[in-house]
Amino acid sequence: MAQQFSDCEDLWDKLKAFVATGDFTLGKPLQEFEEAFAKLVGARYAIGVNSGTDAIKLSLKAVGVGHGNEVITTANTFVATVGAIAELGAIPVFVDCDDTFCMNVDLVEAAVTAETKAFLPVHFTGYMTDMRKLLPLSEKYGIPIIEDACQSILGAIDGKKAGTWGEAGAFSLHPLKNVNVWSDGGVIVTKSDELNDKFRLLRNHGLADRDTVELLGYNSRLDTFQAVVGNWLLPSALEISEKRIENAAFYDRELRKINGIVIPPRPSDFRIVYHLYIVFAERRDELLDFLVNRGIEAKIHYPTPIYRQPALAHLGHRQGAFPVADRQAKSIISFPCDQHLSVAEMGFVVDSVREFYA
Amino acid sequence: MTTNSTGFPIPYVNLSAQWSQERDQLLPIIEEVLLSGQYVGGKYVEEFESAAAAYCGVKHVVALNSGTDALVCGLVAMGVGRGDEVITPPNSFIASTGAIVHIGAVPVFVDVCADQNIDPLLIERTITKKTKAIMPVHLTGRMASMEAISEIASGHGISVIEDAAQAIGSEFASKKSGSWGLVGCFSTHPLKNLNAIGDGGFLTTNDDDIAQRIRLMRSHGLADRDKAESFGFVSRMDSLQAAILGFRLKQLPEVTAKRRANANLYRALLSSETVFIPPDLEKELNTYHTFVIQVDRRDELKSHLAQLGISTSIHYPIPIHLQPAAKSLGHEIGDFPVTEEQASRILTLPVNQFTTDAQIDAISSAINAFLK
Repeated sequence: MAQQFSDCEDLWDKLKAFVATGDFTLGKPLQEFEEAFAKLVGARYAIGVNSGTDAIKLSLKAVGVGHGNEVITTANTFVATVGAIAELGAIPVFVDCDDTFCMNVDLVEAAVTAETKAFLPVHFTGYMTDMRKLLPLSEKYGIPIIEDACQSILGAIDGKKAGTWGEAGAFSLHPLKNVNVWSDGGVIVTKSDELNDKFRLLRNHGLADRDTVELLGYNSRLDTFQAVVGNWLLPSALEISEKRIENAAFYDRELRKINGIVIPPRPSDFRIVYHLYIVFAERRDELLDFLVNRGIEAKIHYPTPIYRQPALAHLGHRQGAFPVADRQAKSIISFPCDQHLSVAEMGFVVDSVREFYA
Repeated sequence: MTTNSTGFPIPYVNLSAQWSQERDQLLPIIEEVLLSGQYVGGKYVEEFESAAAAYCGVKHVVALNSGTDALVCGLVAMGVGRGDEVITPPNSFIASTGAIVHIGAVPVFVDVCADQNIDPLLIERTITKKTKAIMPVHLTGRMASMEAISEIASGHGISVIEDAAQAIGSEFASKKSGSWGLVGCFSTHPLKNLNAIGDGGFLTTNDDDIAQRIRLMRSHGLADRDKAESFGFVSRMDSLQAAILGFRLKQLPEVTAKRRANANLYRALLSSETVFIPPDLEKELNTYHTFVIQVDRRDELKSHLAQLGISTSIHYPIPIHLQPAAKSLGHEIGDFPVTEEQASRILTLPVNQFTTDAQIDAISSAINAFLK
């Protein structure tokens, strides 16, 4: 983190100038950030909110998801996706993932019921759910798609970017994301005029103007201070994703040679942006210990699939209900992949893995 | 353009002046946080939480993303849920009622007194079997009648959640806001007396269990990195904001003293024949988040002051029960007469710590002359 902002004197000057304006809430730099963000991801509108989780929640709310409705999503996502559904009083309906860590779209149709009010595909780890297959289902059943693109900014399929396929796309700007700010933060993108208006109301207490409350909304605004940070960082977003793709290609090439490691599929029509670089590993837990002991920040995203978390006990899912998610939870391992890594550092990771399996 | 007696426009808020005053002390703090790489949670948040707990006289402070979130988390942690009733006044900022509605509960409005705070004498008749909580709002920085409210609540076995978003440091009977109810909810929005440079808020409680549950709730319900105990929200205070608030909390007694002095000057200068200012009780310490007067011909006066370069505000011109968003609650004009009458008479004057005696003198003379 500190590395990312090691050379930021110009940003520092911008922040000092901004703070003196006192324009802290829904200020001008936020509007600039929203325009730049929309342009970056190829969307018509972008709306800054307080977190990626809120981006999902507000999107679901805006398309009418409420108490008792069902939302179809994937069994292996981060807890926030499901938390957003639960907060609206709706019920998460899981489908299993495939080896790209995203929803297996072939399983979606069987999960549709009369109560299904939204599809919430998660573009997990930098991959994308196969939207080419999900869109026809959305049209067939008239069920809107909200894309959880929190981990896949600038990911694409056939050149069409994450977040622009569905009714709305939700992004996170959390400090650990590919494009980040200095706090929690999130963005919703949409091409719909109506949803754009609704999101702007929902994030600011439903206030149409200072004194009129159109609908009961939330307090979920992206701090304008953080938009200044975002404006500084956005011009390098593409470069950051390219560096990560390059890093992943290096790992793929080297790790492929090691018995014990399996590289997930890398379909050529997908632009995978590697928010996380994950492979499947034999004797995963031992490998993790081995690497951690060497000071390598290897991690597991995530060791317990969401459907088996204590918070979801009431849904009554049993272990084994989603076999691919279960299998992956035991074999996945994430290696550091960020844009600041040197070839030497990645070489050290590869050498250590090789040594472990030797 | 005609002008007021200072010869210059008088702003309602003055965040730039605050920045100029604190710049040299705040810049090193901001730089330190940014270089630390710790942007969410961490030591700056923990330090602010302990300092705020000591200041408010409570066992726990949990820092969150906004005052609205403090209300939502507080209600959920107190066990208020779908279909439960929460008693609250209809003249607050929309967020107070919004929090109740968002968790599926029902706001039950009770009209206010001349001092704009919930009327304790009207509370009891609205209590039903479904009432789970009373949410008084310490509007303008003045404490609601907490002795009476606490007594009613404990008599009926219901809890109190204080909406203290506008009342940091306010006291009633020497006991601070946020330390009376089961939980207290504060905002640190840029326009508050204790303000960050972005959204922020926190919750106070003496209850270990509630504090613990809200600590989980604010970060996805995660007990540790991999285990979700229950579903939560994302409502964390930014480290940067916590560090700034830690600094400003130390200045708060001075800010409060200046706002109180400003209010006293207004009281001395404004004509009591044409301007109603709710008196401060001997037992209360009002921190004057806003200084609100009640007058005839309010709209005309507001335009007149604007022509003189004097910025004023109205908190709030449309009561919550008459907002489009509240249509489903089925209220009509006349349901809460005191609130409705005040909505047409209240006017908020600049009272922030950068308002000078000369400015207050100019504003008071302009008002007295217009209403004479």
